[in-house]
Amino acid sequence: MDVRAHVSVIFHLDKCIGCHTCSVACKNVWTDRPGAEYMWWNNVETKPGTGYPTRWEDQQKFNGGWQWDGAGKLRTRCQSKADSYLKLFYNPNQPNLDDYYEPFTYKYDDLFTAKLSDDQPTAVPISLITGEPIEIKSGPNWDDDLSGSPIYAENDLNLDKLTEEERNQLFEVERLTMFYLPRICNHCANPTCVAGCPSGAIYKRGEDGIVLINQEKCRGWRACVAACPYKKIYYNWKTGKSEKCVLCFPRLETGQPPACFHSCVGRIRYMGVMLYDADRVPDAMKVPDRALVESQRMAFLDPNDPQVIAAARKNGISEEFLDSAKNSPAWKYIMEWKLALPLHIEYRTMPMLFYVPPLLPVMGKSSNGTYNHDAKDFFTSLDQSRLPLKYLASLFSAGNVDIIEAVMRKLMAVRYFKRWQSVRDMDENDVNKILREARTTPEEVEQIYAMTAIPTHFQRFVLPPLQREEAIESSCSPEACKGCTGFSLEPTFHPRA
Amino acid sequence: MIDAFLFIGLPYIALIVATIGCVRRARFSKFSMSARSSQFLEDRQLLWGSAPWHIGIMGVLAGHGIALLLPQVWSYILTVPPAMYLIETVGVACSLLALAGLSTLIYRRLTSARIQAVTTTSDLLVVALLFLQVLVGLLSAVSFRYGSAWSTATVVPYFWSLLALQPDMSYVSGFPMLFKLHLIGGWLFVLLLPFTRLIHILAVPFQYLWRAPQLVIWNTTRRRKQALAASIRAESRREFIKGAAGVTGATGLLALGVSSKAINFFKGASQDPEAESALLEKKLQRLKLTAEERSYELERQRNTMILVAGYAELDAVKGKYFIDYAMAPGLAFKGKDGMPIVISAKCTHLGCTVSSTLDENGRIMCPCHISYFDILTGMPNPGAPAKAPLPQIAWALVDAGGKVLASNTPGQASGKVAAPEALAQSSLYITKPGKTAA
Repeated sequence: MDVRAHVSVIFHLDKCIGCHTCSVACKNVWTDRPGAEYMWWNNVETKPGTGYPTRWEDQQKFNGGWQWDGAGKLRTRCQSKADSYLKLFYNPNQPNLDDYYEPFTYKYDDLFTAKLSDDQPTAVPISLITGEPIEIKSGPNWDDDLSGSPIYAENDLNLDKLTEEERNQLFEVERLTMFYLPRICNHCANPTCVAGCPSGAIYKRGEDGIVLINQEKCRGWRACVAACPYKKIYYNWKTGKSEKCVLCFPRLETGQPPACFHSCVGRIRYMGVMLYDADRVPDAMKVPDRALVESQRMAFLDPNDPQVIAAARKNGISEEFLDSAKNSPAWKYIMEWKLALPLHIEYRTMPMLFYVPPLLPVMGKSSNGTYNHDAKDFFTSLDQSRLPLKYLASLFSAGNVDIIEAVMRKLMAVRYFKRWQSVRDMDENDVNKILREARTTPEEVEQIYAMTAIPTHFQRFVLPPLQREEAIESSCSPEACKGCTGFSLEPTFHPRA
Repeated sequence: MIDAFLFIGLPYIALIVATIGCVRRARFSKFSMSARSSQFLEDRQLLWGSAPWHIGIMGVLAGHGIALLLPQVWSYILTVPPAMYLIETVGVACSLLALAGLSTLIYRRLTSARIQAVTTTSDLLVVALLFLQVLVGLLSAVSFRYGSAWSTATVVPYFWSLLALQPDMSYVSGFPMLFKLHLIGGWLFVLLLPFTRLIHILAVPFQYLWRAPQLVIWNTTRRRKQALAASIRAESRREFIKGAAGVTGATGLLALGVSSKAINFFKGASQDPEAESALLEKKLQRLKLTAEERSYELERQRNTMILVAGYAELDAVKGKYFIDYAMAPGLAFKGKDGMPIVISAKCTHLGCTVSSTLDENGRIMCPCHISYFDILTGMPNPGAPAKAPLPQIAWALVDAGGKVLASNTPGQASGKVAAPEALAQSSLYITKPGKTAA
């Protein structure tokens, strides 16, 4: 058992309102630079929709992630070691600018310098690359809220799993539904970008699992852009280096959650430590698609198990880290309640970002103008749900509908129970039946409710002290480093109030 | 003077600047080390530019590299005619491919607005120079045939003389202009390497072939040590065993090879006597050749006249080879008037030795690139690869008593002329340039 700690992330999609505040916070902190304008380390997609870059889920085209032929090793889909050298000159799997969008601004100066005339002056859009006037044809969230649109939503790859009838129903005006999918780098446990980097510039930090690109070692071969199935590595066209989400590690190291987490209006984001067995990582993803979610769960270790704690101590994981692992909201969502699921686990990278799938678009099917719920069989709406579970399964459980259904039942049970508590419009026996069928208990429901609806800042973000002072020590004296790192060593935020 | 700068000064400046510059850039300006790919901004034309360019130029450079670094291997391969034709054909094909790719890249760089946003002056300079360099290289390969062969005997020793710090530009100073340009261009690129995007040549990621797929870095010293211990314990044990087995196997094989030699050494056992004497004979032969050459040199330094042959040995059709004062080959014929014709046999094209037999038109032929030289004037035939005439060599006919019967110094009027019957007993000498026969 090789116990490692990982700073893991939960996004609760039922709470996401699609306001893009996270994206803007990230843009302002990290990517407001020449060459990085088009990068959205954090972006929010409307589902069903095509995402950013357009149709990034299409691995027939982009060839990201790992491939497993049922036996033997996992192989990077984008390249073998031999042909990776030919792909240095031209990488057929790399998305180009048009798969994203041409970054633009407006010629605001024209508003002030225009000569007096009868017409209102206008600020024409210009490209941030060439400086020439352009016609804006796409943007980072171009299909925002356009569910049901034949140009955008219909091209969502996850709809391929649905039958023709289900697809058609989804695009009837009365049944239109959507939800938001915020995406950052998944900081995978078995990342393809690291495996694909010819220069060895991408690495996983041992202490917290953050995946980073060493800008001094990166030689701009762009293999990582192709290798990452989530297209969360971006090529800086100006510096000739690749860049990605750094999970705001300088903020984490001073006890603050990342900028996108901190600014989240819907408070959908949670962060906590997960302990996992690094020995299981190489083989965990060598199982059929249906079993992937469960196989990833098997790699996680219980932070309350004395054996695990002993092994973790032996591996140099500090007491503070172990403490935060015990209080981790991630552990609760992923392992205790089994509500949070990884995005597209079939890419086999073991993403360490988990989503609580959205219930609202599923439940909200109406007939004759009223929401349908049948007191005799409370979960029938799942079978005839507005958004077919198959669609969610394609996103969050590699097509395994049973897993999605279990999550949905539990989420519904929480709602039925809390409604019954305050409204008392149901028979107590019925409520208990619902809880039984959802395989939960009133205690668990209360916990889920508390963590979902009314958590405090420090319940959502249980950040371990990352011992920045020690990290600096390894390369230079902390006193000498103070100036050059740009961040004060004094904690500006106390981790636990 | 200018040649000395271009073929000795420039190479050393380029090598020193490139070495220091590349080390500096790799150590202190790591962030600037990038291929600076522009595929992201434009990828359709790039496919038809970058791929053929890189494949073509790597093929060409591979040929240059093998010839420079393993000249013996290279010239051995070239002794097989089909192999030489194949190499020449592949070389020309590769440079055509490279030129086509580069043209596409230049066109793309000049026409695409997006690409211009990331184009610097140095990028333009580099692509322009690359185009010229490959073009000049291709032209010299086509106009002076079998470059793979003759350059191995000229450019390679020049290159090694530079590396051995005994620069000798005589190998290349006689080259045609076109080929000189190509050489100078080569040194120019060495000079530009650390200052331009060409630096990406040094960033080829070979380590990717053997590195493990996942890379984990620990930031704290304590944990880094623990991680190392843990990783040896668990994750990489298998890899370690595999590596150790490989190393042991290789060491074993090596030891096996060394041990037989070692045993022989300690036993004091000799080779079989026949092989030993053969080896000794070979060494002696080599020493003799060297001694002979040195004695020639000495002779030419001391004497104002060198014996070529007896008058009777001269023939009107089959020339007699000798070594002239410049230690280059020369040829002596008997002319129609009975006077000797003495002419240099070093082809003025690329320095091959001209054949000794006259054809029906009174010409001798250089077998390397088929130039015909008239022995009376030294002039090459029109359209021959050689443009300059073979120089005449000063000579004198001397009788047994040491009396000069006849002599000839090129550029001057003929000296004394003797009766044919007196000549029969005389011998032909060449005379030191600048000194007239006494």
